[in-house]
Amino acid sequence: MGLLEEAFEENVLTTKVDWLINWARLNSIWPMTFGLACCAIEMMAVGAAHHDLDRFGAGAFRASPRQADLMIVAGTVNFKMGERVKRLYDQMPHPKYVIAMGACATGGGPYYKYGYTVMKGVDRIIPVDVYIAGCPPRPEALLEGLMKLQEKIKRTPVIRRPARTA
Amino acid sequence: MEFQAIHDRLKAQGAPGLLGFDEPRPANKKEKDPGRAGMPFVTVDHTQLVEFLRVCRDDDKLALDILVDLTASDPSADSEELWILIQLLSLKHRHRLAIKAPLPKAAATVASATAIYRAAQWHERECAEMYGITFEGNPDPRHILLPDDWEGYPLRKDYEFPREYHGISCE
Repeated sequence: MGLLEEAFEENVLTTKVDWLINWARLNSIWPMTFGLACCAIEMMAVGAAHHDLDRFGAGAFRASPRQADLMIVAGTVNFKMGERVKRLYDQMPHPKYVIAMGACATGGGPYYKYGYTVMKGVDRIIPVDVYIAGCPPRPEALLEGLMKLQEKIKRTPVIRRPARTA
Repeated sequence: MEFQAIHDRLKAQGAPGLLGFDEPRPANKKEKDPGRAGMPFVTVDHTQLVEFLRVCRDDDKLALDILVDLTASDPSADSEELWILIQLLSLKHRHRLAIKAPLPKAAATVASATAIYRAAQWHERECAEMYGITFEGNPDPRHILLPDDWEGYPLRKDYEFPREYHGISCE
């Protein structure tokens, strides 16, 4: 803590704003209640007691996109649903994150060749932060994906934008 | 009743549009017949399908009171016809009947079975969007699964996949 250490009374901590805000964000990533296919079953398993998503502060599934920080696209996105997904994403407040869970949301999965209504990856309509492989991914894989997202948030500068290099 | 008895009963009742029947058979190598698996079915003229279903439902000995399934099939891209396939079930007599009604691809229009079986409504909507069959008299002929502005009939054998939808590439 450097020079300021011991300069104040007890119970005062000094830190960086970046670190503090990111610490708050990454330990309360509230996902949206939103499942599209069989991946959603695994997502529910992650939310339940055995795998316990609450350990990461991400167990508070919100029923409204306006209260959510994270969109877990858990399942097959077809064109009809894709437009709704985009609309829900647009309604989420910043900062917002997207996890593409499983083969379908990542790139069309088993419907890649003959799925005439299936979108070949949800990243064609919304930006994706973390892709998780699997069909469906195991609950541990989703937890791993969430931890990767936390690492990403940890690296994000809040006060100062990173210098852009060409 | 067994299938043959059902068929005979339909014939005796003068069921309109009854064309014939087909039963599964083993393969015959001598006559180069590949055989056929599956269940026996009766073939029905599609223009009289509704009257035929009315006999199936209302006749005491048949009493086929439940529509289990109504779907369609496109046998091949070269084929001139589509098939409407119907499965009926009698809870009273515990027997089933499969119906096949061929109809021409060029004029794929048939009267709605909702007048006899109200359960047919959603099945017909699916058939309509997937195979391009028009069911005249269906009370709600909107698309059921596909977006409202979808073009083409995906389950037809000659269907061409879309290249993009609302600006989203399908490649």
